[in-house]
Amino acid sequence: MTFSSLLLQQTINGLSLGAMYALLALGFTLIYGILELINFAHFNVFMIGSFVALWVLQGFGLSGQAIVLTGLPLVGVLVAAFAVTMGGCGLLGVAIERVTLRPLRNVTGPAAMITTIGVSYILFNIVLLITSAQTMNFPNPLPPLQWNVGGAVVTLQELLIWGVAPILMLGLWAFVQKSRLGKAMRATAQDPEAARMMGVEVDKVVMTAFFLGSALAGAGGMIFGLYYNFTSFLIGFTAGLRAFTAAVLGGIGNVPGAMVGGILIGLIEAYSGQFIATEWADVIIFSILVLVLVFRPSGLFGRVAPTKS
Amino acid sequence: MITRRAAAQLLASTAAAAALGAGPAAAAADKTVVVGVHLPLTGADAQSATLILHGAQLAFDQANDSNAVPGYTFKVKVFDNATATAGQYDPAQAATNARKMVSDPHLVAAIGPEMSGDGKAQAPILSQGDLATITPASTNPDITNPRFAAEFMPAGKAIYFRTVTTDAYQGPEMTMFFSKKLGVKSVYILDDSGAYGVGLADAFEAQAKKIGMKVMGRDRLDPKNSDYSTTLTKIKSINPQALYYGGVDQAGVKLVKQSYQIIPKMIKGGGDGMYAPDILTAAGFPAAEGWYATIAAPHLVGEKQAQGVIQAYTSKYGVEPSDYALTAYDGGLIIIGAVKTLVAEKKPITKATMRDAIGASKTPTLQGVVQFDKNGDMLSHTVSVYQIREDKSKPLSDMIAQYHYLGSAPEA
Amino acid sequence: MPSATAALARPFAAIPEARRRQAATLALALAALLFPVYHGNQADIDSLANAAIYASLALGLNIVVGFTGLLDLGYAAFFAIGAYTYGILSSFQLQPEWSSFWVPFQELGLVTQMPGETTGFVVHFTLSFWLGLPLAALVAAGCGVAFGTPTLRLRGDYLAIVTLGFGEIVPIVFRNWASLTNGAAGLNGVAAPVLLGHSFGVNATPYYYVAIVLVSALIFMSFRLRDSRIGRAWMAIREDEIAAGAMGVNRVRFKLLAFATGAGFAGMTGVLFIAKLQTATPDMFDFPVSVMILVMIVFGGIGSVWGAVAGAVSLSLLQSWWLPDLTGWVDAAGSAIGNRWLAQVDLSQSVELIFGIILVLMMLYRRQGLIPAYRAPAALSFDQQHAVVQRGFGELRLSGLGGEAHTGALALGVRGVTVKFGGLVALNAVDIDVPAGGVVAVIGPNGSGKSTLFNVITGLVPADGGSIRFHDEEILGLHDYQILVKGIARTFQNIRLFPTLTVLQNVLVGQHARLSTGAISAVIRPPGTRREEQGAIDWAMEILAIFGNRLLPRAGQAVSGLSYANRRRTEIARALASRPRLLLLDEPTAGMNPAETLELAEQIKGLKGLGLTVLLIEHKLDVVTTLADTVYVLDHGEVIAKGRPDEVRRNEEVLRAYLGRNAQAAAAGTTGPVHVA
Repeated sequence: MTFSSLLLQQTINGLSLGAMYALLALGFTLIYGILELINFAHFNVFMIGSFVALWVLQGFGLSGQAIVLTGLPLVGVLVAAFAVTMGGCGLLGVAIERVTLRPLRNVTGPAAMITTIGVSYILFNIVLLITSAQTMNFPNPLPPLQWNVGGAVVTLQELLIWGVAPILMLGLWAFVQKSRLGKAMRATAQDPEAARMMGVEVDKVVMTAFFLGSALAGAGGMIFGLYYNFTSFLIGFTAGLRAFTAAVLGGIGNVPGAMVGGILIGLIEAYSGQFIATEWADVIIFSILVLVLVFRPSGLFGRVAPTKS
Repeated sequence: MITRRAAAQLLASTAAAAALGAGPAAAAADKTVVVGVHLPLTGADAQSATLILHGAQLAFDQANDSNAVPGYTFKVKVFDNATATAGQYDPAQAATNARKMVSDPHLVAAIGPEMSGDGKAQAPILSQGDLATITPASTNPDITNPRFAAEFMPAGKAIYFRTVTTDAYQGPEMTMFFSKKLGVKSVYILDDSGAYGVGLADAFEAQAKKIGMKVMGRDRLDPKNSDYSTTLTKIKSINPQALYYGGVDQAGVKLVKQSYQIIPKMIKGGGDGMYAPDILTAAGFPAAEGWYATIAAPHLVGEKQAQGVIQAYTSKYGVEPSDYALTAYDGGLIIIGAVKTLVAEKKPITKATMRDAIGASKTPTLQGVVQFDKNGDMLSHTVSVYQIREDKSKPLSDMIAQYHYLGSAPEA
Repeated sequence: MPSATAALARPFAAIPEARRRQAATLALALAALLFPVYHGNQADIDSLANAAIYASLALGLNIVVGFTGLLDLGYAAFFAIGAYTYGILSSFQLQPEWSSFWVPFQELGLVTQMPGETTGFVVHFTLSFWLGLPLAALVAAGCGVAFGTPTLRLRGDYLAIVTLGFGEIVPIVFRNWASLTNGAAGLNGVAAPVLLGHSFGVNATPYYYVAIVLVSALIFMSFRLRDSRIGRAWMAIREDEIAAGAMGVNRVRFKLLAFATGAGFAGMTGVLFIAKLQTATPDMFDFPVSVMILVMIVFGGIGSVWGAVAGAVSLSLLQSWWLPDLTGWVDAAGSAIGNRWLAQVDLSQSVELIFGIILVLMMLYRRQGLIPAYRAPAALSFDQQHAVVQRGFGELRLSGLGGEAHTGALALGVRGVTVKFGGLVALNAVDIDVPAGGVVAVIGPNGSGKSTLFNVITGLVPADGGSIRFHDEEILGLHDYQILVKGIARTFQNIRLFPTLTVLQNVLVGQHARLSTGAISAVIRPPGTRREEQGAIDWAMEILAIFGNRLLPRAGQAVSGLSYANRRRTEIARALASRPRLLLLDEPTAGMNPAETLELAEQIKGLKGLGLTVLLIEHKLDVVTTLADTVYVLDHGEVIAKGRPDEVRRNEEVLRAYLGRNAQAAAAGTTGPVHVA
């Protein structure tokens, strides 16, 4: 392997990771933008998403790596699985908001954040108890295609990530920019009081943000399963923390920022693993988080400053 | 509070005894020998720990059924060495359990722990309390290293016995196998950040350097992380002949999957952490095909003397035993043997006499006659090597069918 | 445990509460001390020692999260740092070669010489446990300061994430830095404590007593700190950072102090924890431990000292005693009815699930926890509420307040001050003079820049140009808390009290900058500190007396329960408590009825009579006319008029600006409150 093809391969690895972080980061950013709340439950909504997708695919009779689909059946199964997973996770997000967070909407202090930690623990442990801590083999209906590009290998799974993630992100961006509800969301994010006075139904906006953010996390969970061919109750924590770092790096509350931040964190993880050492990856990523917050608190693109005036 | 606790325990044990159908006549007249089994039964290690627990349980159930020591009934008392707050094994809880066992006058011997971290916290307490424990799985050599004798056996006599050999043999003997049997000249080494994995990888690395095998690099995987493609791509670019992984299946499953994508042709091997049902069911084929794994014991499953035990285990618990379930069974046999010896010599059965009897034991077990050195380690230190080869006629989870025994590794 | 004792104590109602509390504490202490005597089971003693260790950790986290309101999700890192500090310095981990360098240390008993494994002699570190406790506290506190200095400026939720990151990094470093820590395999042979030549060894009882002493000491320290200048500053930061700064609290410094104190508690506890285990692995300090301690204080009551202890003890005993027992009962019941699942279920496995449920339920239904930090005081009696208001305070001895001579000297000189928010010019080259001993009012329509003027004077917003001199000293560019020290105190348009603190505590926070008690004297409480504290309380009561029996009977009530007018009064009292030379009042009579307005105007007049300089923002022109010597009119960030109240009232430009804008606004129907910038 030449150095350039090695670099290319690590870039491919980093982009795939980054696309997944970006999907997760969007959920953090949407909810933070509107409620100024760091939603720790998001970590494990992502994890639940991978399990929902697992059960849907198993419902289609897929298990292990044995069955490979092509053509229309493949597309049909994938679309159905994405739809159910995203819908299910979206509803889970809405339920979390409705049951545990809405009563705390006007409570100051860390109460809401502590609640999301609690919800995250509950989701995590329910799956832990159901699966008795086992790692699950995730069905992979994709044909094992791969291509050689400049000495590096690109697989069909990677193409799928690079295809699906941008479509979802652009869809979200278009929704936020163009639709009536999207405009209401942006208005609420800027000034909830004024938005309420202008007739924006804040409850509806918050629910929408939770639905969309959680649905994207669900899609992320399913992509995770298809890409890595496994899932377990543990996958939410590390991915969630890195995605959060990505959201901060891009400027929390900023939708395009979350996408760029995700890609950057993915690339940083890949390059630091190559050139430094994997055991220090977490240290490097958290150092970036601290440095960004201390020296450029609004992130690369954001306008919301996370320091108190 | 205290009386209520005692009542609950009494009720539970009576009910358990009734449920197990222990012969009422025998139970009434017999003296009871209580054996503690302490394993991390909560959290990440729960699955493997439960298999081990059942192995020990089986030995004592069989002894009770066959009246192996006339006049004596064995009773297992289970302790959870893990806490959910730690999410895994918890040395503080293990130490509490050690005190529980030491302060229980009826409890005279123990089986466990599974994790060396627990063992380090327990050993000094067990040593002061004269209580022998037989670990079927913890392989970190520090605890029985005479260098640390003042710390881990302050009372002077061995109390930490093993029915497995330590990483001090498992790692280096696999190095020898890689070198002599597979002709490996260059290797990349990974571990999973855990005490067991790091120790095993360190031992492998030290031996590799000693015999002139080229160590092309060493990296550490975070078991909570999901993506090892970065590390594997790096290994691909360095292109060693072989990859050795010290660690358990949590990171192992992901490593197997992703290394199949990135370095499918490389020779890949691990320790006993890779000898686990998860590797077959969660990683599956074709990814797992060709991986080497070892266990720090002679090959047991598949051998004639073990077949009866395996059948009994499978029919009783509905799953195949792991090898450590069988080393735990061996631990049970040794304890039963020690009681037998003491009864024959008309000595009282106490913690101290049991400790001495176990230390001097020459009990036949599934892995032959086990004898201990003065630190508690087995005199023989056989390491068995396996290779995963798919047997489509058998279920995926059938470890005996899918792990092919290749022989014991060359001595280091 | 107040709630438990309350029921028992009814027959003892005659005994004063403080005495009853002392008795309950004494009984608890006695029970704790005697436990190993009447219950000899080593394992149960060990479980209780572990519970006490968690209680110590919870007390430390309670200072950070409970008192100061900083959500720390990586608290276990400090536990780890303390543990490893002692572990490395008392085990065989580091074995540098012996040289003469080590001789002085050997004489101090910190190291001994021992034969090396291969050749020569090496150093064996033998730090005593008793020295290890304070040393680890210092090291952990130092790490807290080092980590907190760059990050404590972040707002709460970001701080939570950054601390989480720190909590992840520390075990990773200990795992990867194997030459220092023996890596993942963990330390071997950490020394047990030795007392009077006897090693604790593996006997749980002496560890139990050390843990009880430690937890008692930390409870004592927590109470002493809470009820001091330090604790009040922490709670002020928790309740309202901006108001805390305006009252002279150096936020960064006090947050760091809280962080360091909490870290120190954790560091000490770490020493005991691993001395008891005689080993340490990095896995013992992972994220779940930080969350667990948080769950303990949430369960017990955030900010409540006994709550932290009760939460930690009950949840750790839930794990080690009650759930296994319950499992025993359930399994027995399952066996009895022949249900295989019930007979084998292990409830201990769902502890984490239970913790998650506790977090959510407590946040939703009982945020104050089992033992709330604040109890609602008894309601005032009818008589107290309806007593005749005594106006005036001529008879009060307001020592040290006011007394500014009407010499015509300038107290405050604002010159050409400009403030811009993005493209918006909030203040444009504003000049204002406040003569010593005078009362100056600033009026103007909503959004004219009045509150921005106050904010720039008190250092809350930076100026884009100009100068502000206070008694001939430039104050522009000073921090908010420094400006208070110079003698400028303020109130806020939208009232920024510390809601869960009592009236008295609020007023005491106002004196923060005038008191000198530090963390150590707060704990030791030497006579000087006692005198200072008593003086502070006396002074606060004198200030409260200004408002007659509006506030005095309510001194012990949380301000969140007060009426709007009483909250305004409390805020003025808090500002006065700092002994200001210049008092800035931002719409002091807003929301008051005419009678209350008149009463407050009288009181402010009384302050003026004492010779206190006042700068006032006010909408009610009759109040302005009564009080002010000079009136400035602001519109669109510029001074459009100044003069005596009657002059300004007749100024046409003022009328146009006022009535025109208000008329427009009234027509549009958007006369909402304007945000303080």
